[in-house]
Amino acid sequence: MRFREFGGYATSALIAGAILWSFATANVELSRLMSAGPRIADFLGRMFPPDPTVMAEIKKGSAETLRIAILGTLGAVILSIPLGILASETMVARAVFRPVRTLLAFIRAIPLILVAMLMVGAVGLGPLPGIIAVAFHATGMLAKFYAEAIDGVSRAPIAALESAGAGPLVRLRHAIWPQMAPVVARDTIFRFELNLRESLILGIVGAGGIGFYIQTYVRSFQYDKAASVTVAVVVMVIAIEAINVAMRRRFT
Amino acid sequence: MSIAAQIDDLSFTHPGTDLPALERVSLTIPAGESVALLGPSGAGKTTLLALLDGRLRGWSGRVSVLGAPLDPDQPPPRVRRPDSGFVFQEFALVERSTVLRNVLNGRLGRMPPLRALLGSPTAHDLEIARAALADCGIGDLAGRRVDSLSGGQRQRVAIARCLAQEPRLILADEPVSSLDPARAGEILSLLTGAARARGATALFSSHQPDLARRFAQRIIGIRGGRIVFDVPTPELNEAATADLYRETEPMPGTGLRAVS
Repeated sequence: MRFREFGGYATSALIAGAILWSFATANVELSRLMSAGPRIADFLGRMFPPDPTVMAEIKKGSAETLRIAILGTLGAVILSIPLGILASETMVARAVFRPVRTLLAFIRAIPLILVAMLMVGAVGLGPLPGIIAVAFHATGMLAKFYAEAIDGVSRAPIAALESAGAGPLVRLRHAIWPQMAPVVARDTIFRFELNLRESLILGIVGAGGIGFYIQTYVRSFQYDKAASVTVAVVVMVIAIEAINVAMRRRFT
Repeated sequence: MSIAAQIDDLSFTHPGTDLPALERVSLTIPAGESVALLGPSGAGKTTLLALLDGRLRGWSGRVSVLGAPLDPDQPPPRVRRPDSGFVFQEFALVERSTVLRNVLNGRLGRMPPLRALLGSPTAHDLEIARAALADCGIGDLAGRRVDSLSGGQRQRVAIARCLAQEPRLILADEPVSSLDPARAGEILSLLTGAARARGATALFSSHQPDLARRFAQRIIGIRGGRIVFDVPTPELNEAATADLYRETEPMPGTGLRAVS
């Protein structure tokens, strides 16, 4: 009990220390925020009213973002099926699933925007680097989810099929897959939602989609047009979430 | 008389435990009979059945099933696995699949690998599956999902899956422990009857002496991992059964009581 209390103090001290350190070293001058009042008002004023003439760009950008998310998710699913199997303790030996899980953790640790920048460098501007980046980044999470879905099923039917003479892949197909299918559907839809949200900003680094227009309009001080694109993004995110909530309900 | 299973001087300790689950067991299971494995919980019944099914590694002694020796270090060849069918205590069915699918799963070991992977049964497979369903009295449930069935119905599906495997030896682990007495009688009658009709050997475990008497021609008593008796059913006397279920006494030499 005494040890716990000590742990509590230590944690509080650590958090307080981290906050003080952040204020002390970063160039955070709160006075700048105070004096910036009129400038912020001016900035907001220039965003209103949003310019509706950019509808064509919004449509084009949204469609491209949607395509990046769909194809990126497809790529992630294709990569995650074998990697998910190789990361599952039900299907492979420890010597296989441990390194594969570590690899997946590394993939997850690389932010999407960083992957996208590297891919733009590798294959050039446009939606292709975006698709590759989303597929790569999403695999880190999706393959882990698939492995957990495999390991989460009831073991008894697997043993029963093994006793009946079924091999590992046949057991995966007929004992594991029917049990995990709804989990896989839910996880994939969830990851698609994340992919769509995350790919909205990919255009900022030149990897295609609606983010390109946000960046273009902000850089050229056309804040009213940037505002329209922002509204479109918000509407898209809300729509995706509504659709996904409805879809996920079907799989519970 | 041919022999379904021959066990000589078999001992086995579950990994991570000290007490042997089976100790110096020797048995002969004659082919074509229905045999009951009788004993209290923890006697080693499940372990012995799983071992005969080729699922345990690291035992000592000699065991041969259906004329072929088992290897203590590796699983039996896959082609031989369908010859011994197993009915699991908790059914071990794929809950979200249909009854027919589950019964066809019993055919997977008999199919060529690609056909098994695709799960496309031949007319012959379907015929066997439907016959097994009919034998188990659940022909009308073929299209139902297992998670919509009662416990008794599930046990029938589990037995039908085992029969679809066309086993020559049927191993059943407490097949009726979760059922009420009337259902238990029906299920054991079904299991032993189906085995007899197919010329197969049935070895089922139970902790209920009356059920063992009714449905087995031979009864093997097991307690603390050792065979206590092995007799034709008519020769089983009350004293032997009572002794099988007596209160646990202090274990010699350990100074411990198994039940405290």
